[in-house]
Amino acid sequence: MHNGVIMQELKLEEVSSGYGTEEIIHKISLTLTEPSIYVVLGPNGAGKTTLFRTISGILKPFSGKVSFDEMDLFNSKEARRRIAYLSHLNALPEEMTVFNTLKYYADIEGGDVEHTLDLLKLNELRNKKFSSLSQGQKKRVSVGKIFLRERDLYLLDEPTSNVDPKISKEIRELLIELSKNKFVLYSSHNLYEAREIGKYLIVIRNGELKFFDKIENVKTKKYRVGIKTLNDISSYLNAKLENGYFVVTVENPTEVAKIVKDLVAHGAEIIELRELDNPLQEFFEE
Amino acid sequence: MKRSVKLSRTYFVLGIMFTIYGIVLSNLMTIIPTIIPPDVATPSPIDLASNFPFLSVALLSMSGVFFSLPVVMLFVYDKNSGVLEYLLSTGLDQIDIFKGYVKASLVLAVYLLSFAVILNTAVGALLGISLNLLMIIAVLTVAIGVSEVFLVTVCMVAFSSLQKTPMGANQPVGVIIGIIPMFPALLLPIIFPSHAITIDLSVAAVTIFASLALLLSVGRLILREKLLP
Repeated sequence: MHNGVIMQELKLEEVSSGYGTEEIIHKISLTLTEPSIYVVLGPNGAGKTTLFRTISGILKPFSGKVSFDEMDLFNSKEARRRIAYLSHLNALPEEMTVFNTLKYYADIEGGDVEHTLDLLKLNELRNKKFSSLSQGQKKRVSVGKIFLRERDLYLLDEPTSNVDPKISKEIRELLIELSKNKFVLYSSHNLYEAREIGKYLIVIRNGELKFFDKIENVKTKKYRVGIKTLNDISSYLNAKLENGYFVVTVENPTEVAKIVKDLVAHGAEIIELRELDNPLQEFFEE
Repeated sequence: MKRSVKLSRTYFVLGIMFTIYGIVLSNLMTIIPTIIPPDVATPSPIDLASNFPFLSVALLSMSGVFFSLPVVMLFVYDKNSGVLEYLLSTGLDQIDIFKGYVKASLVLAVYLLSFAVILNTAVGALLGISLNLLMIIAVLTVAIGVSEVFLVTVCMVAFSSLQKTPMGANQPVGVIIGIIPMFPALLLPIIFPSHAITIDLSVAAVTIFASLALLLSVGRLILREKLLP
């Protein structure tokens, strides 16, 4: 408590966890006190999913303690009810309609199906069988289940993987809105996404915590982006030509959109945009 | 429960077939007169007409087991698709999850055993079997059937949790263990008809007690991570 106000806090104290006798994450200590989006980055096999499962209370830590508002997450059902965990699987009964899959969970843990359908724009799909939906639509429904009722901590394991850019954008906008007063931990491989929506960066590598700070404090190199066109744009773009790509170097990926807009205004016929280097890539490398 | 029935109508059909088989087999015996073995001194004649209907207790109970197998298939399906993982994250423990599936299989079995018992009673009454005997068979069928379904479901859910690649209703160990109590319920009442009720009720009580103990144990001994995909 601070000045009579209950401060929410997620705390991991020297947490080691894994499966069977195999330890996957080693002595991780973290304290999150500010509702925000915390992007969890790491290469495949780093331990991101294990970390999320441990925080959500699914896995018992081998050692250490995970607490939310001073409640031990593994042993407290009440604490676990305040968490929403979205795994990389859809985790929905495929044989049911969209409405009934969400109702299935609403019947178990409570929640408002109609509100969720409105929020995720799923009303047109409500009577469709879940198994007949596209991957992107299934993901949207899957994300919907964590919005059935309000929680305080949201753990999302690659929520925009295999999803088209339009739906990814919609999901990210929802999460940005959510993070104004909720804790959102969001794992991703998409480095642009990390920079775009996250306030804090948590980097896990080989099961260890390698970095935890605000993204704005991350000292990064610049972004190099390659633009391939059908016509020569060297007269109005200050760029080096490398292997068929006009290469521009920017501080921030959002600058690329302005460059593209200017090129199109000058009549450039762009056929490909490609990220050549991403400064956050260094966190994926040894 | 609804999800299980939708998932596998095959077991539902098998259960109905087994029900009809059990009813026909046990009630046909009423047309066989009392048999006295010729030239053999026996302590007492075997009255098949009175004793054989007890066969339906075991056979109809088996049909209850068939009806509930889709629930175990559903458990495996939900484990592989991440549904159990999500349920764990909402605050449920593994025993809460096991109880849910056991409850679904028991409710399904009760509905369908009731149908089987009503059908058996009607057929038996038409064939002239005493109502008193039919009522006893009805009660024993439900008792044995429910206890069998309980044990089979708990065994199969437990084994499916422990397997790396769960095979659901195809894995035989749970079914074999689950139907072991069926054999005394099948044979002893025919051999000792005067103690049939006591034997069957005892088998049911022991099976229910063992199932409860097994459910509570697996709920504690099987770790949550075993329910992950």
